[in-house]
Amino acid sequence: MCRPARIAFRWFACVCWLLPALAVAEDADPLLRALTDELERSRQLRIAGLDAPYFIEYRVEDTNSYSISATLGALISLRESHVRIPMVSVRVGDYAFDNSNHIYSEAPSGSRYAPDELPLEDNYSAFRQVLWLATDHAYKTAEDAIARKRSSLKNMSVPDQLPDFSKASPIHAILPVKKEPRNPGVWKDRVVKLSAIFADYPQVLSSGIEMHVSESTNYVVNSEGTAERTPEDVAYIRVRANGLASDGTTVRDAEVMQAFDENGLPAETELRRQVSEVAKDVTALAQAPAGEAYDGPMLFEARAAAQLFGQVLGDNLKVARKPVTDPGRAAPHVASELENRVGSRILPEWMDVVDDSTQTEWRGHTLLGHYSYDIEGVAPEPLPLIEKGLLRTYLLTRTPAFKGFESSNGHARLTSLFGARGAGFGNLFVRASQSMPASDMKKQLIEMCVQRNKPYGILVRKLDYPSSASLDELRRMAAGMAQSGGSGHPVTAPLLIYKVYPDGKEELVRAVRFRGLSTRSLKDIVAASDESYVFDLIDSNAPLALMGAGSYLTTASVIAPAVLFDELELEPIQEDVPKPPLVPPPSLTGF
Amino acid sequence: MRRILSLLLLSAPLVAASPPTLLDILSAELDRNFNVLKQKGDPPPYYMAYAVTDVETQTLSGSFGLVNSRNKSHLRYLDITIRVGSSKLDNYRIIKGERARFTSGSVIPLDDVPAAITRRIWLETDRTYRLAARRLIEIKSNEQVRVKQEDDSDDFSSEPPSVHQEPPAPLGELSANWIDHVRKWSGELSNYPGVLNSGVGLAIERETKYLVNTEGTRLVHGRTFATVQISAGGKASDGMDLATDEDFQGFDLARLPKPEVIEAAVARVGNDLSNLLKAPVAEPFVGPAILSGRAAGVFFHEIFGHRLEGHRQKDESEGQTFAKAVGTPVLPDFLSVKFDPTRETIESTDLNGYYKYDDEGVKAAPVTVVENGILKTFLMSRSPIQGFDHSNGHGRRQAGAEVVSRQSNLIVESTNKVSERALRAMLVAEIKRQNKPYGLYFEQVTGGYTLTQRRGLQAYTVIPLIVYRVYPDGRPDELVRGVDIVGTPLASFSKILATSDKLAVFNGYCGAESGQVPVSAVAPALLVSEIEIQKKEHSVDRPPLLARPTETGQ
Repeated sequence: MCRPARIAFRWFACVCWLLPALAVAEDADPLLRALTDELERSRQLRIAGLDAPYFIEYRVEDTNSYSISATLGALISLRESHVRIPMVSVRVGDYAFDNSNHIYSEAPSGSRYAPDELPLEDNYSAFRQVLWLATDHAYKTAEDAIARKRSSLKNMSVPDQLPDFSKASPIHAILPVKKEPRNPGVWKDRVVKLSAIFADYPQVLSSGIEMHVSESTNYVVNSEGTAERTPEDVAYIRVRANGLASDGTTVRDAEVMQAFDENGLPAETELRRQVSEVAKDVTALAQAPAGEAYDGPMLFEARAAAQLFGQVLGDNLKVARKPVTDPGRAAPHVASELENRVGSRILPEWMDVVDDSTQTEWRGHTLLGHYSYDIEGVAPEPLPLIEKGLLRTYLLTRTPAFKGFESSNGHARLTSLFGARGAGFGNLFVRASQSMPASDMKKQLIEMCVQRNKPYGILVRKLDYPSSASLDELRRMAAGMAQSGGSGHPVTAPLLIYKVYPDGKEELVRAVRFRGLSTRSLKDIVAASDESYVFDLIDSNAPLALMGAGSYLTTASVIAPAVLFDELELEPIQEDVPKPPLVPPPSLTGF
Repeated sequence: MRRILSLLLLSAPLVAASPPTLLDILSAELDRNFNVLKQKGDPPPYYMAYAVTDVETQTLSGSFGLVNSRNKSHLRYLDITIRVGSSKLDNYRIIKGERARFTSGSVIPLDDVPAAITRRIWLETDRTYRLAARRLIEIKSNEQVRVKQEDDSDDFSSEPPSVHQEPPAPLGELSANWIDHVRKWSGELSNYPGVLNSGVGLAIERETKYLVNTEGTRLVHGRTFATVQISAGGKASDGMDLATDEDFQGFDLARLPKPEVIEAAVARVGNDLSNLLKAPVAEPFVGPAILSGRAAGVFFHEIFGHRLEGHRQKDESEGQTFAKAVGTPVLPDFLSVKFDPTRETIESTDLNGYYKYDDEGVKAAPVTVVENGILKTFLMSRSPIQGFDHSNGHGRRQAGAEVVSRQSNLIVESTNKVSERALRAMLVAEIKRQNKPYGLYFEQVTGGYTLTQRRGLQAYTVIPLIVYRVYPDGRPDELVRGVDIVGTPLASFSKILATSDKLAVFNGYCGAESGQVPVSAVAPALLVSEIEIQKKEHSVDRPPLLARPTETGQ
């Protein structure tokens, strides 16, 4: 049986934990008390002659969720679930050198008796039983890991050993948990009805709508004195469809609508419009001509630009510690393209990038990237990442990634490997101090093409991000990218991309992807629009935030203007395409 | 005559108005795809089948007297079979021991909306057909370069179509009463000394199987299941991990044993674990033993049942222990073995291997595989083997896997049977005769596994939970821990001396190439002259370092 993806989300109500009345609520929460008391007792854990624990952390995700899936007016599944998942970290040694950041840091050691889940019914002593056994196991795992790490390091010279973990000030934030009633039954009917829209589009080969709503209460308690309880909720609807072009290649489109709860999702008419859009896009793509190799100016409309910055900047600003490995064995680690580039030019000097996760909204739009504390209990502050085009810092967790960037700036938002948390952005603002109206940008694109004798320019309206690609497609993409000299951080394919002719006419094309697009391309931005787009997304620890993959999700926003590149490349996707099915499709209407 | 006509006229609009059933949708889409593929496909299919497994489950688990999880799920899985070539040689032929998988068990809608369901079927049919056609080409070129296989029987047997519609009873809800039971039992279990983890799980399931094929089979059938599982685990002072469990299966909750009976099992699971934690560690030993009826059932399932599965006799990577043994003695002459999927209960226990039709739509029937020690036949799916051209209704699978021959309700019958008391006296006599310090009594086993492949060791293991030393001098039996049975199959059979006169049922799920299928094994207790045990490899990490938290926190 598979467990639904763990979801951790935040709460957007005001932070009012200073109210004295809440002391009662805290005291009445048996889970919080059990966490605090068992953690206190666990400080005694020790095996004579071995390293003692110096840091213990308990996290619990209490998640109530439901998922709906439907196709062509029929329900595929409706699943409701309630789980309380305990996660225990024990660090032995000290901040400078501990059991983490080694390839075997999380390899379980010894027998495991603690269940994977805490009881759903509140019971202080039962909670402590589970935590007791889970802590014992985590401690034994830590002792084994530090021994293995020492033995790996014995035969290696490691220059400038970074500390393994940074200090953080304790926080005490017990937020009120108020849960709104949810309506899986109402949404089931709505999603089934929405999925029937595709029956009007015969070019759509297969389609589906998935909805997920979860309400979580997250607990973080650690031995430094942090005690945190935050409600974190999310709701999203994913629409996916694909079709076949006349040459047999698959074309597809996808749309995701997300909010903090089901009531924040768009109204029925807007949902219907979005679903119809996807159906129309697939229909148009099935009839569109295949694109060709191209190098020249390229305009990203604001949404596509936000999707591009989310991937290219966002993913490379999330830096991870390279784990220690056994001599001669490669460490599973994808280096950021921005490693060792602090002080270097990343963007034109008139552009800045700031992560400001303290902001709850922007020009009336609720920002999904707002959060009060990250999953290590660190509060984010406005963080200038790129100033006047120059890289200043990274998104950091309590696991130091590079020399000089050793303490957290409150961006541990995802889970990761080897005892570390994964970095994530919250509200990523891309700002331009020089800008022009969006309508002028298309004119400039055309002008640049004319000057260079190009028959057409390229306009990108939508990228496949978070990616809706099938695993098969991703594998082919990775293989194709490797051949055309891509990095470890490929950029997803464009979903809606157009040739723009000198007369302003736009022609949709399909089956092309970017060639060599990376952080280094961003210097070639020549113009930005004066209006920005807020792109909310469900980010995850899967590559390209792949939908349905990733074991841990979070919400984020990218706020960016449209941007015009002086020069970018496209290449046609040339793959062996299967022949269309021998049997014609079944009827969409009658039986 | 006139009257009949008017009736027909009257009923016609009614028929047209009723929405199509899943079976109607499957049939129509099967005909549509088969007709086109027969004309346009190269190679064309000669047989196609659509199977849908509709699974509704509700589970509840508890520990420490609290509900741990409660889940409901309802999903429909589609399995497609397409055979291209001919029944003599088709895409299912095994080459170099490699069994191909064509179906994917993809999920289809729960609502009988034709457009939604047919679309998924159509796309899956296309995917399956491409795989089937490609595989046949590979097989044909492979056949040309290899020597003729020893068994060159056909790939697919012809069987009469089955038409029958009998959906199982609705599932119902888990009542508050059962939730209270789970709380109470799990609370009691966690209080036994030494118990570190424990739980009581309850599951009810309704499985409806739909099958249509191009030979005219139209089936809707299935059954409901109810299970209670009780388990406890702990760690002995030397680091050995120990676990005890018991479970009960019935066709529905009402047919499970009374709560008192389950409660007694909870006490046994708790007590057995507490006692095991204190028990001495078993020493390597060879000598006489009694296997309880349930232990004997598992013993037969593993070392005998798996080797009678027909497809193994044909697959050249298999050990083929019995491939040429038909008509010869394979067991002592006082034993007979049959597989009877039509048998619903034995001694008021529902049998988990019960079904009316197998997963290829062949009607279930009892099969006597061994009569008075002589091997008569194998368990057959529609994949023929030399000398056995037809299925005997044992082609089974879990949704998403390809069918192979599997066991159903294994029933061991004996003509050399004595009372349980007399069997024990025979054990004591045997211990003395062999001049051994003690014999063994295997009361409970948790299951086992067997290796039938040629390249592996032809060995089996059953995992004993509760084993006692039986002393010949009348001392009380002594519980031991850390026992592993070792042995090779053929040698074990000749050592059965006698059986008891009471049948016991072991219900469970058997996992093999075609996934998990529900089975049962029914056997009397066995007296064997010789069984070999070894010390179990065990964990050496320490028991929890801190004491159990005791603060009540009230």
